[in-house]
Amino acid sequence: MLRDFLVLAGSSILHRKIRSWLTVIGVFIGITAVVALISVGLGLERTITDEVAKVFGVDTFVLAPRGSFGAARTSEGSNQYALDLEWLRTLDGVLTAAAVRQRTAFVQGQPGPEGRLAQGFLPVMGLSPELITSFSSFVGSLEVEPGGRLFQEADSVVAVLGREVATRLRVDVGQTIVIAGDADKPELTFTVVGILATADDGRPQQGFTSGMPASATTIYIPYDTMESLWGAAQDVLVTLVRTAPGRDVDEVANRAQAELRARGSRVTAITYSDISSAIGTVTSTVSAFLAGIAGISLLVGGVGVMNTMFTSVLERTKEIGIMKAVGAKNSHILSIFVIESGMMGLVGGIVGTLLGLGLSAVASAIIGRMFDVRIAVVASPVLITATLGGSFLLGAVAGLWPARRASKLPVVDALRYE
Amino acid sequence: MPLLELAGITKDYRLGKTFVHALRGLDLTIEQGEIVALMGPSGSGKSTLMHILGALDTPTSGTAAFDGQSLQQLSENQLVTLRGRKVGFVFQTFNLVPTLSAQKNVELPMIFLGVPKRKRAARAKELLTKVGLADRIRHKPNELSGGERQRVAIARALANNPEIILADEPTGNLDTETGGTILELLRRLSVDDGRTVVLVTHDPEAVRIAGRVIRLRDGRTVEETANA
Repeated sequence: MLRDFLVLAGSSILHRKIRSWLTVIGVFIGITAVVALISVGLGLERTITDEVAKVFGVDTFVLAPRGSFGAARTSEGSNQYALDLEWLRTLDGVLTAAAVRQRTAFVQGQPGPEGRLAQGFLPVMGLSPELITSFSSFVGSLEVEPGGRLFQEADSVVAVLGREVATRLRVDVGQTIVIAGDADKPELTFTVVGILATADDGRPQQGFTSGMPASATTIYIPYDTMESLWGAAQDVLVTLVRTAPGRDVDEVANRAQAELRARGSRVTAITYSDISSAIGTVTSTVSAFLAGIAGISLLVGGVGVMNTMFTSVLERTKEIGIMKAVGAKNSHILSIFVIESGMMGLVGGIVGTLLGLGLSAVASAIIGRMFDVRIAVVASPVLITATLGGSFLLGAVAGLWPARRASKLPVVDALRYE
Repeated sequence: MPLLELAGITKDYRLGKTFVHALRGLDLTIEQGEIVALMGPSGSGKSTLMHILGALDTPTSGTAAFDGQSLQQLSENQLVTLRGRKVGFVFQTFNLVPTLSAQKNVELPMIFLGVPKRKRAARAKELLTKVGLADRIRHKPNELSGGERQRVAIARALANNPEIILADEPTGNLDTETGGTILELLRRLSVDDGRTVVLVTHDPEAVRIAGRVIRLRDGRTVEETANA
C-alpha cells in the first residue's frame, strides 16, 4: 500500500510541476548551504589534521607543561618544567626523545671598533641534536648562512646564533662567545659554528612550531651542554618522544606522563589523537555554528513546503472527499499527504546535496588558491545520508499539519466543495 | 431481510447561520437487486438521503441498517470499510481524480482495501472493458468525454464488487443519447448481476428503468409508485 501511496503522491506532485519545483527550490537552497558549509568544514578539518599528522607522525608525542593543552588549560604555573631526559629515554616503549630547554643568560661576544665588548642578557636555548636528526619534521628546514652548519650529536661547546643576535654580539662563524651559567658553575666559551639564515622576505625562519621565541634573537647550544652551565633541567619548554615501532603511542604517553609526574615533572603528554580531537572540536564547533545559520534557510524552506501543502489540501478538498467516499480512511489520507510533502523535501535534499557538494569543491579550490594549500574535498557518507533523511523528515514534518487537516475533512462537506 | 432499512430518519445540519432540517422522519426500505429512483425538487433532501444510504453521513435521529447491521453502532473506520466493500458511488460531476489515469481511478477503491497490484490492474481492465473503454485505460479524465468519464466512474463504483450502486444524477451532465447508454449500463448491473441500484434523478428516462419511484418533498416520502 505504501508503494501505491508513493504513486498517488508522486502523480499529484507532477500534476502541479511549477509549484512543486518552486517549493523544492525553497528546500534545496537551504540544504545546499548547509551541506556546502559542513563539507568545507570537514575538508578544512581533514586538511589540518593531515598537516599535523605529517609533522607529528603517528608514533610521536609531545610533553608540554602541565595545563597548557586542552580543557585543563590554566594560566597558573610555569611554562617550563623539570625533566630527566636520560631517564625518559630508558622508559619502556620509548625509542628516542629530544627536548628543548631555555634560559636567559649573560652572554659576551666580540669587541667593537672602540674596543667595547658586545654583551647582554639573551635567551639561550638548549636543543637536543636529535631534534634535527630524528624530529626534522618539527623543526622544519632550518638553514644556516653559507659557511656555517648546525651542531651534531658529537658537538659540545658550540653555538648556532640567530642573525640578529649574531650582529649584536659582533660574531661570525669560527669566532667565540662566552656564556655565564649559575654562580657555582664555570663560564664556558662557545665556538659559533653557524648563523641561521633569514628567510628571503627578511623575517626570521619559523624554526620550531611550539611557542619558541623568534629564532633570530636566540642563541642555540646543545642540550647536554646546558647542564654544565645550569645543572639538571628545570627549565624544559618541550620534549618530543618517539615510541618504539608497534607500540601504542597513547599507552606509552599516558605511562610517561604518570611516571614523570611521580618524579616531579609538571608535564602533559599530547599525542596525535589529542591534537586531532582538539582540532576536530574547534572545526566542528565552527561548522556547526555556520550550519546553524544556514539552517534558518532550511526553516524557511520548510514553511514553503507547509504553505504549498495547505494550498494543495484546499485545492484537492473534493479529491479528498472522493477518496474517502471510495474507502480511504483518515490514516490513508494523512499518509498520502505526508508522503507527498516528504517527497518534495527529499527531492530538495537530493538536489541540495549535489549542489552543496559541488559548491564546497569550488569553495575549497578557491580557499586553497588563496592560501596556497590543498584543501581536501570531503563527501562524507554520513553527512549525505543524514541530509537526505533529514530533508525527507523536514518535508514530512512541514506537511503534517496540512495533512492532518486534510484527513479530518468531513467527507460530505469535501464532496460538496467546489 | 431488506438490504437497506431506514426508519424515522431525521437529519439536521448547519449551513452558515441557519439550521437546515434536510430529512424529517423518513422511512425507506430497499430490497436486494431492485432499481429505485429517488425524485424530488431541489432541497427535498435527496442528496442527504443518498449520503446516509451510502454511509457517508450519519442521521441525526432514527435508525439505519445495512444488511441488518445498524450504522449507528459502527465506528468511523468501520463505516469506511463498509463503504469500500459494499457501496459504489456514481456522481453527477463524475468526481474522478484528475491526476490519475482511468485505470488508476478504477483501482483507487481497491488500493484502500489493500488488493494486490496485479489483481487490481486486471480487475480495472476487466471493468473498463465491460463499460466499453478498453482502449481508454491510460487516458486521464481530461482526455475523456463526459460519457466516457461517467463510464469510468461506473467502473470505479464496481471495483470492489459492491452490493449497491448509489448514483446521484448520473445523467445530469450528459446529452440524451450518452445518458441513455449510462442508464442501460446501470440497468444491466441490476438485471444481469443482481445488484441494487439507487438513482437520484430528474431525468424521465432514468425513471423508466426503475422498478420503484420514490418522491420526496421537504424531507419526507410523499409518494411511492411501482413501475410496471
